[in-house]
This record gives sequence, structure tokens and C-alpha cells, in this order.
Amino acid sequence: MYDVLIIGAGPAGLSAAIAAREWNLNVLVIDEFLKPGGRLLGQLHQEPDGKWWNGIEESKILLEKAKELNTDIRCGISAHTIEKTDHGFSVYTNEGILEAENLLIATGAAESPAPIPGWTLPGVMSIGAAQVMTNVHRVRVGKKGIVVGVNVLSVAIAREMQLAGIDLECMALPAINSATESHGSPKKVMKALLRIAHLAPSTAIRFGSRFMKGDGTKALAVKFFPKSGVKMWGMPIHLRKAVTRINGTNQVESVTICDITADGEIIPGSERNIEVDFVCIAGGLYPLAELAAVIGCPFQYIEELGGHVPVHNEQMETPLEGLFVAGNITGIESAKVARAQGTLAGLSIAKRKGQNLAKLENQIQQAKMNVRTIRENATIQFHPGIEKGRSRMEEAYYDIVHG
Amino acid sequence: MDRIVICRCEEVDLEEIEQTLINYQCSMREIKLRTRAGMGYCGGRTCRPALNAILEKVSGEKQPHQIPLKVQPPVRPVSLGRIGETNYE
Ligand SMILES: Cc1cc2nc3c(=O)[nH]c(=O)nc-3n(C[C@H](O)[C@H](O)[C@H](O)COP(=O)(O)OP(=O)(O)OC[C@H]3O[C@@H](n4cnc5c(N)ncnc54)[C@H](O)[C@@H]3O)c2cc1C
Repeated sequence: MYDVLIIGAGPAGLSAAIAAREWNLNVLVIDEFLKPGGRLLGQLHQEPDGKWWNGIEESKILLEKAKELNTDIRCGISAHTIEKTDHGFSVYTNEGILEAENLLIATGAAESPAPIPGWTLPGVMSIGAAQVMTNVHRVRVGKKGIVVGVNVLSVAIAREMQLAGIDLECMALPAINSATESHGSPKKVMKALLRIAHLAPSTAIRFGSRFMKGDGTKALAVKFFPKSGVKMWGMPIHLRKAVTRINGTNQVESVTICDITADGEIIPGSERNIEVDFVCIAGGLYPLAELAAVIGCPFQYIEELGGHVPVHNEQMETPLEGLFVAGNITGIESAKVARAQGTLAGLSIAKRKGQNLAKLENQIQQAKMNVRTIRENATIQFHPGIEKGRSRMEEAYYDIVHG
Repeated sequence: MDRIVICRCEEVDLEEIEQTLINYQCSMREIKLRTRAGMGYCGGRTCRPALNAILEKVSGEKQPHQIPLKVQPPVRPVSLGRIGETNYE
């Protein structure tokens, strides 16, 4: 029986483990990937102040710290069900059942698809998969590709692929259908980019700031968005072109691309084919909260946080006794926020063991402040209005627990 | 129009899901039972966000707080031997 079992060894899970070990808790961290580090392992981007964020280095720092504290981290273990028991939780995995008094779910985020005709052909992958192949496995994704879907994440990863010497034809939007609407409308995409352009990595700043002249100009910005796109180190980013089809017999051979209106409607006669051998689809991120759903944690749908999120308070507690959440499962934010939330969750769990409460309470207050400060100063933001989303969650927690 | 597969495991396409939603004015659970979308090997992990987006678009309503398509264990593919250990209701 562990004091705490942590599912997910990303920045949130690892920081929580460190905080809990510092309070001498009996901790086990499991992760289904072959290495600890979570999404940090793929990250490499330049911040507006010119400094580089190197996720591999960041994950090493966390792992070394965890090692110094003799933290038990096991990889290749996948949790597929969790159940409440009289004393805590049973976690069912591919390696058997694990028992713990407290449980922290830090499973991060997953990608949404943006389905267009031909997206099931071999050679089509999510933008995150391309990131993992490029930066984690160091495998070349293909000879020449195209990115379908323009958002902070896909712009950052396209830049990473450029740095790795991979040839990208361009970035464009997915053709609109009822499953892709929010990613296929130039107006909506522009709006989302503009609201975060001042914080995004330098590449996107350059991209957005040319049009950043207040609210009224958004429609204009889309209208006058250059037909040849805006270039990022030689690669065009198109907001007025959409990929309508991915073509090929046994694998990707080409895509069909069309000009579109500011609302995303296809302009007849504008279609042409571009030869590519791989396609990266970017439909955005959502919190990976399946295990919290299985155990019956209540949820809130909050767009600013990226979708359905398990109800939790600022200390990362859910309404289910002994169940905690931290990191992107609580809302899509940068790795730095996830890391700070993890520390806070680890301390909150230590509090349940009830030793040296005054000192612990002090640390918890500091950790809370830290999450807020890091959020305010975040240089990468996935959804506009994150603070609004966070306060709505606080209210929901209060209503459910005290209401 | 070109066919757009939404549920890859069960090969259910967009048109079928939209038509079912329109014809039966139904819930996500009913869509699943009628079309098998979200019922395959991956347990809906791949198509769930797309299904939710389609429902939102066709019904014109924002998603409810409760997850529209209930998450069922196991949330990862597991061998039958391992399932034997668990007491799924
Ligand atoms: C493709 C992609 C690219 C991203 N790029 C950036 C970026 O460039 N910069 C940035 O700041 N943020 C980026 N993010 C956001 C990212 O989610 C955060 O930066 C951060 O990694 C979140 O930390 P976390 O600890 O919550 O989750 P993660 O880092 O995602 O870690 C979660 C871990 O949980 C494990 N896991 C999940 N489910 C199970 C299960 N059932 N059983 C066992 N283990 C499980 C996973 O294997 C994973 O290792 C990206 C996210 C994605 C999905």
C-alpha cells in the first residue's frame, strides 16, 4: 500500500513525486511511455526573450531530483481502470493491481483529430506524433510534408521540424465540415492567434503582430491576409487556403488545396494538388481525463481549459476523498504551469498525512502563489481566457462540495 | 462528396453520424448504439472529440458538463487474462 500513487511521469507527476518524497511519503509513479518526462521530451522552442526552452533538459533536472530522493518510477505501465476501496484506491494496470491511499492523476493532454477526406491513409499523423518522431525517437517523418491546422502548438512544432531539417511545403487550414469547424474558419483561427500572439513563441509573434491593431481589424486582417501566406523561415503559413482532401492509393501521395473565403468557404476553381508524402493534422489539445471519469469524479465543460475537466480546487483536490489531479488534465497550459501544479498537488497530498502542519501549510500557500505567478507570466498559452476558466472551476468546486 | 471517416475502429463516416443525429434528434449514447461510432477497439479515444464537435454543431447547443459519451473501463486495450483480475460490473 503506497501513500500515493501517481499516474503520469510528465512535469506535473514528477514534481508532485518530488514534493511528496521531500515529505517522506511512500510514492510510486507509473507511466505508460517507455521513458519518464511526458510531453517535455518533445519540447524545444524559443521564448520571446530569446531563451530556449529545452524539454529534454528540463525533464533531466526533474528526474535527477526524483532520483536523489529515491523515488520509485516505473515505465511501460498503463493504468486502464481505477476503483475506490475502503482504504484508498485500486489501480488496474497491464502489470497487475496497485493499491494506494491517495491517487494523483497527472495524465496530461491528448490531441483532437481534424478529420478530412483521406485522413486515415498511412502517412497522415497528428502534429504531436510528428513531434515525438522528430524530437524523441529522432526518426525522419518523411521527405516532404504539409501541416493541416494552424494553432500555437502546430506553429511551434512546425518550427521544430524545420530545425530538424524536415521539408515542409506549408501550413494551411483543414476544409470545414461539422467536425473541423473551429479549425477551418480563417476568422476563428485568426482570432485565436491574435489573442495569444503577444505571448506565443517568437515565431508566432512575428506572425500575428503585423495584424495586431485592436479588435476591429480582425476581419480586415483575415481579408488582407496575404494570398501567398505569411512566411516563417521560408515556409508559408496560409490562413486563406484549406486542404480539402488527402490523396493516395496505399499511402499519402498528395493533398488537394483550395483558396477559401474569410469564413472558410471554398472558392470554386481554385483547387490544385501538391505532392507530399506525409501530412500532420493539428486539431488542438484536450485534457486526458478518462481515468477520472471512470472513477466517477464530477466534470465541468470549460472551453477556456480545453474541454471536459475533472472538478478540483486550487489545492488540486477533487471532491473524491484522496483523489488529486495536476497538470494538463486540469486545463491545457504550458509545461511550467504543469510543473508548479505538480508541486502543489504533492504538498496537498502530504497534508493528508498530517505531519508538521504549520510548515506544510506555509509551503502550500507559497506553491499556490507560484502557480498563479507562473500562469500570469506564461509565454506560451493554448487557450485565451485561462484565468476565467480557472475561476469558473473554483466556483464549480465550491458549488459541488459546499452547495 | 468525399467520404470522411470519423470512427476509424468501426469505420463510421460523418454523413452517417450527421444523418442519425438529424433523423433521431438523439443523444451521443444513442448515436453510439445506432452507428457503433466510439464502440471499437480504442474505446472512443480517437473519435470522441470529433463526435462531440459534430453534436455541438448539429444540435447548436454547447456541450453539457457531463461527458456526452460515457467513458467505460478499460480505458486501454488489455488482454483477457488481465481482465480476469478485475471485477467489472
Ligand atoms: C503533442 C503535444 C505537444 C506539446 N508541446 C508543448 C510545447 O511545445 N510547450 C509547452 O509548454 N507545452 C506543450 N504541450 C502541453 C503539455 O501538455 C504540457 O507542456 C505538459 O507536458 C503537461 O504536463 P503533464 O505532466 O500534465 O502531462 P504530460 O507531460 O503529457 O505527461 C502525462 C504522462 O502521463 C502518461 N499517461 C497518460 N495516461 C496514462 C495511463 N492511463 N497510464 C499510465 N500513464 C499514462 C503519459 O504517457 C505521459 O507521459 C504539448 C502537449 C502535447 C500533447
